[in-house]
Amino acid sequence: MKTLTIILTDGPYISQYADMAYKIASRALNLFQVNIFLYLDAVHIPKSGQNPSQFKNTGLLFQELADRGAVVRACARCAAARGYRAEEDGSCPDYLPGIKITSLYDLAEMLEKSDRLIAL
Amino acid sequence: MRSIFYLLESAPYGSEKAYGILNAAAVSIKMDATLGLYADGVYLALAGQKSCLLDVPNLSDILYAYPELRILAHEPSLAERGLMNRGLVERVELVDEEDFIRQALAADGLIAL
Repeated sequence: MKTLTIILTDGPYISQYADMAYKIASRALNLFQVNIFLYLDAVHIPKSGQNPSQFKNTGLLFQELADRGAVVRACARCAAARGYRAEEDGSCPDYLPGIKITSLYDLAEMLEKSDRLIAL
Repeated sequence: MRSIFYLLESAPYGSEKAYGILNAAAVSIKMDATLGLYADGVYLALAGQKSCLLDVPNLSDILYAYPELRILAHEPSLAERGLMNRGLVERVELVDEEDFIRQALAADGLIAL
């Protein structure tokens, strides 16, 4: 199976950006191994406890992607800057399950192993 | 993928974008990695940057730290901003529009910030 990596750099709700990424990733999971790297403000996407009154819960959408086999990782430097603390295994008490904080070197590894790249 | 083109169109200070793209490019040097400076991104090519008053890293130091990373500056963007007579970081290659786009499209992947 070919591998698709999606890189996101913006957070949820300010636009439909994360929503669109979810739709692309969701469809792509039928054809690709999907990796999603959350960079810069995108590290807010998997925060637990989101409660939007008018929109779909973006965090839950990305948790669903992880449950379906997507590898969803957030940049450690960006996460630390925004107050998300990683445990030793990369999990984060403030994140939804299945989504981990990791080194930026994992992005390079994802890119090297990818057949396709979508940077939104 | 064996090659990646990072496209920076934001100025180096005032947002996290330039720092973010430089970090991503730095960890990608095992691949054929290129940083293309376009629009306000060309300000990163200027020599003599002093960021100490901003209390942020001097981003031109990162350009020197990774000689494996190719750095291209879009010459029309420099000209449009009146920067053609300014000193540039020695590692920066000036390229015209056609060459810039050709090299961006030649890479296996493109990441823009």
